[in-house]
Amino acid sequence: MANPATETTRKKRWVFVMEPDRCIDCEACMVACSVENHVPIGEHRNWIAHRETGAFPDLNLSFMPENCHHCDNPPCERVCPTGATYQRDDGIVLIDYDKCIGCKYCIQACPYDARYVNEEKQAVDKCTFCVHRLDAGQPPACVETCIGGARHFGDLNDPESEVSKLLATHDYTRLYEEAGTGPAIYYIRGK
Amino acid sequence: MREVEFHWNVLIVIYLFTAGVSAGAFVISGLATYLGGAKYKRISRIGAMIAPCPLIFGLGMLVFDLTKPLQFWWLFLTVQWTSPMSIGSWLLTFFSLLSIIYFLLWIPRPWRDLLRVPHRWGEIFSPKRWQSLSRRDVGIARRVIAAIGFPVGLGVGMYTGVLLGAIPARPLWNTPMVAQLFLFSAMSTGVATVLLIAALVRDKSDADHLHHERHFLVSVDAVLIVFEIFIIIPFFLHQALNTWSSAESVNLIMGGPYTLAFWVGVILLGLLVPLAIEGFELYPVVWREAAVKYSRLWGGVSAALVLVGGFLLRYIFVYAGQVSHFLPLLER
Repeated sequence: MANPATETTRKKRWVFVMEPDRCIDCEACMVACSVENHVPIGEHRNWIAHRETGAFPDLNLSFMPENCHHCDNPPCERVCPTGATYQRDDGIVLIDYDKCIGCKYCIQACPYDARYVNEEKQAVDKCTFCVHRLDAGQPPACVETCIGGARHFGDLNDPESEVSKLLATHDYTRLYEEAGTGPAIYYIRGK
Repeated sequence: MREVEFHWNVLIVIYLFTAGVSAGAFVISGLATYLGGAKYKRISRIGAMIAPCPLIFGLGMLVFDLTKPLQFWWLFLTVQWTSPMSIGSWLLTFFSLLSIIYFLLWIPRPWRDLLRVPHRWGEIFSPKRWQSLSRRDVGIARRVIAAIGFPVGLGVGMYTGVLLGAIPARPLWNTPMVAQLFLFSAMSTGVATVLLIAALVRDKSDADHLHHERHFLVSVDAVLIVFEIFIIIPFFLHQALNTWSSAESVNLIMGGPYTLAFWVGVILLGLLVPLAIEGFELYPVVWREAAVKYSRLWGGVSAALVLVGGFLLRYIFVYAGQVSHFLPLLER
C-alpha cells in the first residue's frame, strides 16, 4: 500500500489549506454551508475549533476552521457494512444516502467527529466538499463566503494552484496525520 | 471540552450482551454434548433451549437502532471484507440458523416427534411422507450441529469485541484485549445463564448426576472468570502506560464517571464475588474429593451476578468508549 501521507497517486487531489491566523470565528462558513446543503438545524458539516494554549497570563486562542478531512485512507469507508460510504477517484469521500441504513459505525470510526445523523434523510451525513458545485467548476460555499480569507481550496497536484503555492512557501500541519488517514485539510502554522 | 454525543446507546449494549449469552450457551451446550454425553444431558438441553432466545431479542434491538430499520436487509446484499459489522452480520445470521436447528433437535419428546423431515432425496417435495427423527438420528444431528456451531459461536463471542476494537478513533476500544475480554465474558455469561436456569428448574436427577453437572459448569465458569481477570490487569497497565489518548481513556474508569460502576459493578460483584462463591462450591471437590458444595440459592446468586457484571461491562465499554478520543475534544 502506498504511504497515505505522500498522496501522489491521484490525478487530482482536492484539499483545503486553512490559515487559522485569518479566522475570526464569525461562523459565516457554517451558515453558508447549512444554506447551501440544507443541513438540518442543530447539525453542522463544518465548524471552528477553539484551540487554547499557554497558561495564565500568557494565553493564546486560535481558531481552526474544520470540516470532513476527506481522508486519502478513510477509516469511515473501511467500516461501512453496506458500502454506502465510498471514495471518488479524486479522493472525495461521499455517502450513498439510499444505501446507508444508519448503523452509525462510521460516526464511531471518524477520528475528527465529522459525521452526524441526518434525521430528514434517515442516513448519516457530512461535508461533501460541495461536490455539486465543484463538478460545475465552482469552489465550496464555505470558501466563497469566508470574509477573512482563511479557507483556501484547490488541487494539490496542480503546482500552479493557490493551495500548492501556499504549501510551498509556508509551514503547515495536519490533524491525526500520524495514524495514516491522509487528511486533506492543511493548517498553515501561526506566526 | 465539548459535549460528546452518544450515537450508540443502550440498544447496542443489550445486543452485545444477548449475542454473548447466546454464543456462550450454545458453546457450553456443544461442549457438554461432546464431553459428557448422557452425563451432561440436562446441561446440553438447557443450553440448547436458551441459545436462540437472547440473540433473537438482541437482533431486534440492533435493527431498531438503525435509522432505517426496514432496510436492514441491505446488509445481506454485500460482503465488505474490511467492515467487522458486515462480517458479523453474516456470522450472526449463520449462528442464528444453527442455534434454531439445534434448539429444535433438543426439544424433548413427545413434542420433538412433531418435527418431521425428509429421509430420502425423493421426499423433499412431498411433505406428507416426511417422518420424525429416530433417537439415533437425533443424536448424530445434535453432534453435527454442535460441531459446526462451536467455532461459529466462538466467532460471535469474539466479534462483539472486534466490532469495537477495530476502530482506531476510539482509544478505549482500540486494543485486541477487548475482543478477548468480550469473548471470555460472553462464554461466562452463557454458562451463568445455564447455571441460573438449572438452579431455577426443579431437577429430578440423582445426587451423583447433579454433582457432575455442577462440577462441570462451575469449574468452566471459574476458569473463564480467571481468564477475564488476567485480561483486565494487563489491559489497564497497557492503557495507563500508553500514549496520552489511551491513558486519558482509562482515566474514565480510574477516577472518571464510570469508576464506581466498573470497580464495584464489574470487578467486585461481576467477577470477584462469583469467583469466591464458585471457589467455595468447588473447595470440597479439590481438597476432599467430596461432592460440590452447592446450594441453589448461592449458585443462583453467583450466576445472576455474573450476568449483571457482563451487562455492566458492555454498558461501560460502549459508553466510555464513545467519550474516549484520539484528538483532544476542542470546543467548537
